[in-house]
Amino acid sequence: MAKAIVRKPKKKQNPLKSAKIDVVDYKDTALLRKFISDRGKIRARRVTGVSVQEQRAIARAVKNAREMALLPYSSSAR
Amino acid sequence: MSLRQYEIMIILDPEVEERTVAPSLDKYLSVVKSDGGTVDKVDIWGRRRLAFDIKKKSEGIYAVVDFTAAPDTAKELDRQLGLNEVVLRTKVLRADAR
Repeated sequence: MAKAIVRKPKKKQNPLKSAKIDVVDYKDTALLRKFISDRGKIRARRVTGVSVQEQRAIARAVKNAREMALLPYSSSAR
Repeated sequence: MSLRQYEIMIILDPEVEERTVAPSLDKYLSVVKSDGGTVDKVDIWGRRRLAFDIKKKSEGIYAVVDFTAAPDTAKELDRQLGLNEVVLRTKVLRADAR
């Protein structure tokens, strides 16, 4: 009988912690660009590996940055 | 009167002379001082490419100003900037929130 395959998802390291950032600022576009795809969409939490609270702060920051034309709403790629 | 800390980001028309930005910002911010607030920091980023066009402009002059003022003053400042033709966009945020 085939043994049940136990998948061990690799724990991602928290990119915010490694950058030592406690307040996500919408002006920090270099940081925020790590959390958007190349089409400009906000990356999912399962991709970014941050906590719920941090993801919320990131989403808010990205949206503020978009309003001020610091980040694109959508990229022209395709 | 309770004062709050705010941060306002202003995008100015790229056609204004860059060296006139600081004096004209001072003029816009005079409402803060006359209403008993203080301007704590003015940071002019300079010309920067916009992620998308605003009012058919693909560039803008960015400035970030930290100030302390009463809520009504902050609202009035934002209103006055919105009426200004040279201002493409503004965003007021409470610096002490979060």
